[in-house]
Amino acid sequence: MAMRMWASSTANALKLSTAIRPHFSPAFSLSRCFSTVLEGFKYANSHEWVKHEGPVAAVGITDHAQDHLGEVVFVELPDAGSVVSQGKSFGNVESVKATSDVNSPISGEVVEVNSKLSETPGLINSSPYEDGWMIKVKPSNPSELESLMGSKEYTKFCEEEGGH
Amino acid sequence: MRVLTRSLEVWRLGVLNYLEALKLQEKLVTDRKSGKITDTLLSLQHPPTYTLGKRQTVHNLLVSESQLKSMGAELHYTQRGGDITYHGPHQAILYPIISLRDIGFGARKYVETLELTMIELASLHGVKAHAGESGETGVWVGERKIGAIGVRISSGITSHGVAFNIDPDLSYFEHIVPCGIADKEVTSLKREVDSDLPAEELIHEQLISCFVRLFGYNNVIWKDNPSLCDQQS
Repeated sequence: MAMRMWASSTANALKLSTAIRPHFSPAFSLSRCFSTVLEGFKYANSHEWVKHEGPVAAVGITDHAQDHLGEVVFVELPDAGSVVSQGKSFGNVESVKATSDVNSPISGEVVEVNSKLSETPGLINSSPYEDGWMIKVKPSNPSELESLMGSKEYTKFCEEEGGH
Repeated sequence: MRVLTRSLEVWRLGVLNYLEALKLQEKLVTDRKSGKITDTLLSLQHPPTYTLGKRQTVHNLLVSESQLKSMGAELHYTQRGGDITYHGPHQAILYPIISLRDIGFGARKYVETLELTMIELASLHGVKAHAGESGETGVWVGERKIGAIGVRISSGITSHGVAFNIDPDLSYFEHIVPCGIADKEVTSLKREVDSDLPAEELIHEQLISCFVRLFGYNNVIWKDNPSLCDQQS
């Protein structure tokens, strides 16, 4: 409890976004670029995250990614029922005149798509790990999660990748 | 002391049809992704062409497609970001096919550096240009737009790019709401400069130089009039 309050007030002081779920208090680590990285999530080296929640896994892009993209103005997502593959593009986001492909960190069937993103694409910027989730997938191969990075590895990856 | 070599292959293609340029870019993006080729920059012009971005903002096209055809212009729907724009002769186009991950750039930083490239080119001719305000990406002289940007990034590899108005026929812009921004004019280097401009080829070279410098390349390989089937193997 104390951890969560500290996390939240520190985040406010540093103007970071945090995702605080009522039933779970995440510890977060600060990367040199001050992006939020959450425990309990897995990360791909193309800056997408996946969170396994029972039979379904939610997918989105990380705080580091949204910060580097700039303000998101348009999001293109697949239909529910489509199939996604690990490492392959499933949609894209448009920001500052750049359309960037988003790759799926896992393979499976898309069971839900975040329809809020068509009205409010900026949720990806303001809440990349919570309200800005993009698709929910029924994983066809849950062992793929093991090939992804944990929060510490991902933080280190961001620091090494570009230095800003 | 070891210096990291950053190589750029520059293809000067002259006037190239939009679809052919698109096919070429798709091939180069695939090759760049697999590491077959180094960062590549295409320098070219298009015949009169209107293009729409991913959002297909066709409402910003003010005439019908058949009217466009009778003007001798083509219309294409693309996968790049950005709104509707016009490309034509005397407009310098750069399509960089580069790896953003190699330089640690995100989309925003990439677009900002592309803006700087055009701003520097303008300043070489005494024209004070600046990047647009939020939501108005591109390069402006006062309230007049001189350079447009629309890029696509796939697995960190870029395609599409920038269009800088040297001296295109600006009346073509009257048939669209350029980049979806109403009430703002379009301009060209010719309009903004008091004296005569140097040869266009020189201006294209200057644009390339600004790009090379700002993106930190220290080894440039020139490829003029390459055969489009060159990269077969």
